[in-house]
Amino acid sequence: MFAYALRRIVATIPVMAVVALFVFSLLYLSPGDPAAVIAGDQATPADVERIRQSLGLDRPYLVRFGEWAWHIMRGDLGTSIFTNLPVSTMIAQRIEPTLSLMIITLILAVSIAVPMGVTAAWKHGTIIDRAVMGFAVLGFSVPVFVVGYVLAYVFALELDWLPVQGYTPFSRGVWPWFQNLILPAVALGGVYIALIARITRATMLEVLQQDYIRTARAKGVGQRGILFLHALKNAAVPIVTVIGIGVALLIGGAVVTESVFAIPGLGRLTVDAILRRDYPVIQGVILLFSFMYVLVNLLIDLLYTLFDPRIRY
Amino acid sequence: MSTSILPGRLTAADVAAAAPQPDVMPPVRARRGFAGFMRRNPTIVFGGGLLLLILLVAVFAPLLWTTDPTALAPARRTREPSAMYWFGTDMLGRDVYSRVLYGARVSLIVGFSVAFFSSVIGLTIGLVSGFVRWADAIIMRIMDGLMSIPSILLAIALMALTRGSVGNVILAITIAEIPRVSRLVRGVVLSLREQPYVDAAVASGTSTPRIILRHILPNTLAPITVQATYICASAMIAESILSFIGAGTPPIIPSWGNIMAEGRALWQVKPYIVFFPAIFLSLTVLAVNLLGDGLRDALDPRMAKRV
Repeated sequence: MFAYALRRIVATIPVMAVVALFVFSLLYLSPGDPAAVIAGDQATPADVERIRQSLGLDRPYLVRFGEWAWHIMRGDLGTSIFTNLPVSTMIAQRIEPTLSLMIITLILAVSIAVPMGVTAAWKHGTIIDRAVMGFAVLGFSVPVFVVGYVLAYVFALELDWLPVQGYTPFSRGVWPWFQNLILPAVALGGVYIALIARITRATMLEVLQQDYIRTARAKGVGQRGILFLHALKNAAVPIVTVIGIGVALLIGGAVVTESVFAIPGLGRLTVDAILRRDYPVIQGVILLFSFMYVLVNLLIDLLYTLFDPRIRY
Repeated sequence: MSTSILPGRLTAADVAAAAPQPDVMPPVRARRGFAGFMRRNPTIVFGGGLLLLILLVAVFAPLLWTTDPTALAPARRTREPSAMYWFGTDMLGRDVYSRVLYGARVSLIVGFSVAFFSSVIGLTIGLVSGFVRWADAIIMRIMDGLMSIPSILLAIALMALTRGSVGNVILAITIAEIPRVSRLVRGVVLSLREQPYVDAAVASGTSTPRIILRHILPNTLAPITVQATYICASAMIAESILSFIGAGTPPIIPSWGNIMAEGRALWQVKPYIVFFPAIFLSLTVLAVNLLGDGLRDALDPRMAKRV
């Protein structure tokens, strides 16, 4: 187990290296002069030169990559072109809302989607099953911001149950914090719920046909026991895997959800950075998100043994 | 019944009385024509029909009682939907109905182009990866790396470096989608290589390019087609997200994401500016997704009614 964990952790290093190389090379991939593109149309030649120097574009590619990677490993993500603040400081200021949103969405989505998928598999072929599958197709089709606007319109503007937009820090009380995140979490969770529910249903359908389920039934285990103890436990690995893969949806969706609900998180930071072409910030955020994504999936890989003792490494 | 317990002595009556065996293969109902096709593949017909309708709307937008979607008219800005302005007007007085109809063009062009280009490029990379051992390790490490950047972020990063245009949006989303197609094709190729008929082809001295062309490629087309429809759907969503956050098509082009981005400032008082493009976008993506589900069920019967 320990050897496996070590091997799995080591295996993420090349992945992160590719990510870093790619994120770094983005600047060089742009057609034309990246410094001029970042500086914008109204820039003077002096501005362009200043940006070229601050990004290190005047020095050789490999030298620059070495420096950049070395700084990253020490937690230095560079300096924003626009605010002149360290990118790591800007990220630290904005990370709380985004993490809060993602964690609440994750909990909400898993606690809705898994029972949904299980029920659909149990009631296979009935109207309940069809409803779940129909919801899943809808969840994949209706974009995050559409759900967001509809929810905000109905529950905040028309019914006035919840705040329309904004964010309250956790330190100012759990309820105000939570209240502001309910609608964004539901909006962001739509696709994620659809994805998890679909995989849960498919895996459960497969597991429910196994011999040990018939054995459990024969020895008199109740329906609920069969579904949640015998079947779900054996269906856990694909479900947990898709929960990890789906974190990418959460990350991408968070950028949009934060725009819709005016949440001052990393998504807003990204959007602002794009509009200002603040490239060090964009690079920093993408690196951070990718790192988070790789880390989540690493953790899930390591968790497999917990769900399925047959997996031994 | 007593006689039938002995093996080999089944009577006709026993056979008739026996419980019907579960069919391994579903009974074949060879209905012909459109009615038969519709009965067998309702999702393909419904999704495809809806998509065709939207496609026709996009193509014939100028004939469908629209006006110039970019014509400014400050005198009649933010009008509520009415008989005159079906979907109302936006804050610059542009007709939202016309803009939404023309917006269908952008979404469909982006969706279809990304689906086509990422499939072709992904197919090539996947075939190389599945057949050339030394390249496989390198290609797959690169794809692993790219796949760990959430695709919409990857597209955002690419767009941040170029000027907004429909071509650049297509390019950015295509690059973001390629790793997934390559992985899919590689997986299919690796499993096909183990098939007996490929062994037979190798044994009879068929050259590798010919094996790829005759035996491997045709078998990758079904999964690729299904994947392409899903990519088309996610590309349309990605385009609207990019435009919505200001990193997509230039604001002058009426794309659904742009219309929503412009309506955002006013959405609490004039929600219709956001809602009409939202409805069209959702319906279009739904149509493509249904088509994809239907194709998957039709092309891969083992998966049908499962996932």
